[in-house]
Amino acid sequence: MRLIVWRWLAVSSLLIAALALQAETRPQYGGTLHIAVHAVPTSLDPADSLTANSFAGRNITLLMFETLVTTDDSNRVRGLLATSWQASSGNARWQFHLRHNVKFHDGTALTAEIAAASLRISNPSWKVATDGDSLVIECDGPDSELPAELAQSRNAIAKRSLDNPIGTGPFHIVDWQLGKKLTLTANEDYWRGRPFLDGIEIEMGKSFRDQLTALELGRVDLVEVALEQAHRVSLEGRRIVSSAPVELLALVFTRDAQASEERSLREALALSIDRASIRSVLLQGSGQATGGVLPNWMSGYDFVFSTDADLVRARHAREQVRTIPTWTLGYDGSDPVARLLADRIALNGKDAGLALQLTSAGTSDIRLMRIPLPSADPWIDIAEVSAICRIPPAKNKSTSIEDLYAAEQTLLTAQRIIPLFHLPVSYAAAPTLQDWNVRPDGTLTMADVWLRSSKP
Amino acid sequence: MWTAVYNSAIPSFYLNTVIRTFPSGFRVAQVCFAVIGLVIVGWTADWNSPEQHLAKKIAAVTGPGAVALSLENRSSLGKRDAEIIQNGLRAVLEALGLRFVKADHAAATVTISLSENSTSYVWVAEIRQVAGDAAVVMVSTPRPEGSSVARDSVPLTLRKTPLWTQDDPILDVAVLDENPSPVHIAVLAPEKISLYHLQGGKWQPEQELPIAHQRPWPRDLRGRLTLARDHLFDAYLPGVLCTSTAASPLTLNCRESDDPWPLVSGTLNGGALAVFPSAGLSSGASMVVPQLRAFFAPTRNFFTGAITPGTGKFTTVPKFYSAAVLPRDKYMLWLFAAIDGQTHLVDGLNDQAARLGWGSDLASVKTACGAGWQVLSSSADQAEDQTEDSLRAYEFPDRDPVAVSPAIDFPGPITALWTESKGDTAIAVARNRETGSYEAYRVAMACGQ
Repeated sequence: MRLIVWRWLAVSSLLIAALALQAETRPQYGGTLHIAVHAVPTSLDPADSLTANSFAGRNITLLMFETLVTTDDSNRVRGLLATSWQASSGNARWQFHLRHNVKFHDGTALTAEIAAASLRISNPSWKVATDGDSLVIECDGPDSELPAELAQSRNAIAKRSLDNPIGTGPFHIVDWQLGKKLTLTANEDYWRGRPFLDGIEIEMGKSFRDQLTALELGRVDLVEVALEQAHRVSLEGRRIVSSAPVELLALVFTRDAQASEERSLREALALSIDRASIRSVLLQGSGQATGGVLPNWMSGYDFVFSTDADLVRARHAREQVRTIPTWTLGYDGSDPVARLLADRIALNGKDAGLALQLTSAGTSDIRLMRIPLPSADPWIDIAEVSAICRIPPAKNKSTSIEDLYAAEQTLLTAQRIIPLFHLPVSYAAAPTLQDWNVRPDGTLTMADVWLRSSKP
Repeated sequence: MWTAVYNSAIPSFYLNTVIRTFPSGFRVAQVCFAVIGLVIVGWTADWNSPEQHLAKKIAAVTGPGAVALSLENRSSLGKRDAEIIQNGLRAVLEALGLRFVKADHAAATVTISLSENSTSYVWVAEIRQVAGDAAVVMVSTPRPEGSSVARDSVPLTLRKTPLWTQDDPILDVAVLDENPSPVHIAVLAPEKISLYHLQGGKWQPEQELPIAHQRPWPRDLRGRLTLARDHLFDAYLPGVLCTSTAASPLTLNCRESDDPWPLVSGTLNGGALAVFPSAGLSSGASMVVPQLRAFFAPTRNFFTGAITPGTGKFTTVPKFYSAAVLPRDKYMLWLFAAIDGQTHLVDGLNDQAARLGWGSDLASVKTACGAGWQVLSSSADQAEDQTEDSLRAYEFPDRDPVAVSPAIDFPGPITALWTESKGDTAIAVARNRETGSYEAYRVAMACGQ
């Protein structure tokens, strides 16, 4: 019996050695991470709106810059450059105490004055003052969401000069070829510890197809995956990681409904769209059909907004109107799936008796938009979408779920937006890339990333 | 917004009632059942508050009368909880004057969805009345923090005993006193060493000693606590050495230092320790292992490969994460887990590299089992859904490892593995993938199982 046990142990040890070729190892220092992205950021300034409004821009920002606070995966606010904070005057005045011994990439110490100047640029309407080592932000009224707002990448603290802005983050700029390539190197004095990677090279403006080809050829380690390709790429055995649905695909009307007849037509369009078919055919099963602005993982009630097409009701609504205008439906010409989506929506509208004409030009009556939700905080997202729809944001930001629902209802009732889908953000990586992850809000966690040695 | 309320049992009342009523033998059994019952009840969430609130909101829309009620569970709540909530809601609604009928006979249909978002349970009631649009009312109640899942244990030759858990990283734990299980421990964290003593079955904080350091710590910070002969302990961290005083209350003196870290722990290299004087040379002179020290890269997570005084002809080996020793009759066989994933077997004359599929943490233990010395190695594959790491004991009859124990699982990657000062056990720290907290265990070999 004992002999059998020893034989079993010997055989099992050999099997384990054979199977565990990729054994758990500590993170390895060194190497350069190669990333390809579709976006073409024109600025590295975190406050630049184009940078802040794309996932790639946010990810790039967070490699070089840091915010006062951040949020964890459960959307709880955590300190980053600020160690503590407190609110007074009924959440209208906020004081943030800065962390000591943090330095910008040029060696300058982080001070309250620099941080205040940075926040004034990203939020010109804010009243930001300093008080010793702390920042004081005075709001117009109670704002319980201010810490969550400060966690946004666009509020990252930057020291601005004539050259590129500099931050305190884990990597600093070596070379920036506008719109083409960004080369970063590890910040040896990073206050949270030098990153494992020696550097990062980011190639910009790469189509999704080119990105996947580069990944397959081993030229890059991390790429974005287009929505409609995610399913196929995962079937091919690639390592693919997706966020929670964090992007809202929606039709946005460029102006308010002028009369009740126009409201009826907008209702007819909303009721005519067959989201189920679009999702299964054009989106290859990706994303979640929605009639609301916030995804269910954020609100918990998205299912109350109907997503079913109802042609009978759509035609009925359309029949309330005598003269049917032809709407122009604009879409992003650089988005390969946008044209197909717009085409299908126009066909659905036609079934209800509506007339839509497609255009990729800048001006249109309706725009098919991908709206990256900026935060896992639902109130910030409601405010963002309200701003896009040019609707005054809800004032009553409370922790009540019914207040949130009411704010979303108000936004939808204005009929400036027809939500269609909530979409995730997906990335594929080389097998050597370790400890990377996508947060629920779609941003990548890169500071702890390391490259496994590919030596035999 | 409501705060999650969980049933708070009233043990004294319950137990006193039982004890007063029944004879002694029966009392014991009753007490046991009562305790078990209270524990089970304690695990059950109290949905009463959100039930009351939602029912009132529904009744405010429908008023008293006949309604058709349905409930759909869209959340992670289990079937049992969903049934409890449904029954609770029905009871409250009935108390508010609602009667439940089929949809055909109802003045209103109420569809309740038990949903959730990232922080809360969200219960939504969609109310459709004969006249008018649908109304939506809802309540939310915070979800409890994630709790770790208890795992079945199976007979093992490697045994792990939980020592300490905390949210901050644990770099090492040193047992300062035991009787016979640990009663006094020191926990090394990035910014402090915390001392705890066991009192009334609970660990009580005793003292916190801040670690002074000028430079930021490197990522994947590592550190080691070693018990000392003339003072209580030393703490080795990258580029920093901290030395405690000998007597309580302790003070800690930290300085920048490139001093090499000891690779042979505590009493294995002879002599006695301040805290375990009986554990020194009494184990026999034949078991004395010459001390070997290694230089740790001050801004990295590995040893540079420079060792002192060296083993045989080698004073340098490849950069490595950890090392283990296996004494042979005439030499010491050192195993180094190199940063390239290979394990180097160094006997003083030869450096043989092998790819064993092991993890990067090794520790040796001297036991009364098997060949007397075993190497513990972490090992886990890198599958995306891998949630556990494991530890297994090996012996080296020659130059090939033979597993001598089944693997024991840890709730996440092993982040530290160090031989304890007495040499017969090891400290393993794992980061729980579910909770994110760090859990330190003592790992011991059990023979003949």
